[in-house]
Amino acid sequence: MSDKGDAEEEPPHLLWGLDPVFKAFARLYVKDILQMRQSRQVPGIYFYKTHPVFQVDVLGTVVYRREREDFCCYGVDDSTGVINCLCWKDEKWRDFGDSVKGRGGGVFDAEEQLRKLREAQRSRMELDIGDVLRVRGTVKTSRQQREIMASCFYKVSDPVMAVQISRMLEMPSLYRDCYDRPFSVPPHQAGTAAAAEPGGLSDFQLLLGRAGRILKEFLREKEVARFRPYDVEYLLHPLLPRPAATPSVGQELPSAAPPFATQVWNLLKDSLKILQDEGEIFRKVLSPDEVYNVTEQDKDLLAAIMDVLREDSKREKYTEKGCHVLHVLSSVRQRYSRNLSREALQVALRLLECNSDIISTTDSHYTVL
Amino acid sequence: MLPAHATFYFPWEIRTDAIKDGTSLRTCWVFQRDPSAPFLCAQTLRLASYLPEESRAVLTCVRASVQHQVSVRTTFVEPFHPVIGAQYIVLGETEKAEGGDAILHARVLTCVDGVDVALLQKAVDEQRSFFKDRDGPGPE
Repeated sequence: MSDKGDAEEEPPHLLWGLDPVFKAFARLYVKDILQMRQSRQVPGIYFYKTHPVFQVDVLGTVVYRREREDFCCYGVDDSTGVINCLCWKDEKWRDFGDSVKGRGGGVFDAEEQLRKLREAQRSRMELDIGDVLRVRGTVKTSRQQREIMASCFYKVSDPVMAVQISRMLEMPSLYRDCYDRPFSVPPHQAGTAAAAEPGGLSDFQLLLGRAGRILKEFLREKEVARFRPYDVEYLLHPLLPRPAATPSVGQELPSAAPPFATQVWNLLKDSLKILQDEGEIFRKVLSPDEVYNVTEQDKDLLAAIMDVLREDSKREKYTEKGCHVLHVLSSVRQRYSRNLSREALQVALRLLECNSDIISTTDSHYTVL
Repeated sequence: MLPAHATFYFPWEIRTDAIKDGTSLRTCWVFQRDPSAPFLCAQTLRLASYLPEESRAVLTCVRASVQHQVSVRTTFVEPFHPVIGAQYIVLGETEKAEGGDAILHARVLTCVDGVDVALLQKAVDEQRSFFKDRDGPGPE
């Protein structure tokens, strides 16, 4: 195939899912579909520049047609190349004769209308040379030839070429804005650390994951119930490369990267945010003094939940099913902390259930024995 | 076997293009998809231009007050009902006819009467300039 793209490095397959092109039907020129290089990691995946592609969307004129019993092969020409499209015939048209005859008369006949609708649908699936075909499907290579295995195809009625023209006008900008650009991580995900790290997303995500694990491990091991961010900040120091030890206080290099302390602080803040979102930790009161409670170690919280469940499960309304999780949440919020997140409550409920203090009756109802 | 792809050419480009590359392989297979060729404007040309017995049609278009004319062999697309004065798009191969003129052997001849020619021209130009920017100038 072409040696044009070989210079581009193939990204690791774990990151493919982050590229929106991967999940979309890529609207590529047939020329590019024919020249895309195959992935070295996963068969059936192709690369247009740095974008992994396995399904495409093509519009063009049918210039070749070969019919078989089960399928039709159409050669589709979009003026940059011709590609074979394998279109399966639908089973339901197989024995589609004119079994239902028009009954005549001006009476509305649902069956007749349905037949007409089916007829119209079927006529869209049968193409001849010269028709315009739109096809979506996966790219395959069989016998050294690229082809498209159609998952959806239909004849486009385009008497004044409006559809073809608008596509021709659209494609160059689509290429310029999307396919020809190397995939980069949206800045809000990468955060500040990614700017400092050359690897962009992968490095920062890995770092964040590692920081989260370190914090969780520490909290579990030491059975920490409450902490302030600066208590745990030192744990993250080994994760970031320390600047070369320069005794001079004045910054010699006005480097683009933020100073070490800021990097650590940002990483810590992001990690704590993730832990909060997971419900591992929560802040009991929102005060300038940033104190985090560790959900599983918060005896008062667990007691409050138990109290709510014990009291309310007795009430007639809840005897049968137990209390809904949202009911527990609002009661605990009133009783204990208005700032408790649902995620944190779930973590606490899971712990209580593991300890057999409570049981779940449905996936969102809990009761005590 | 799939046929080669058909690049867009405007009617006024066909003649020069075909003759310039007269000997290269590509030439015999210069594929034309002729966008804005009105099928024989009856007002401007008096003679009837579809000759069924010869399987030959003539398409003309006027650009910058110069009339361009393309002969089309229609053996592959018959039977064929000509609409005199309508706009057609032709997809096919150029061949050298006797007398040195290029004749287009049509594989697809579609009536696209009412097409926005200016917009089509813009779309073709856009596509060409995109490929020129990306792939650099062609081999010629």
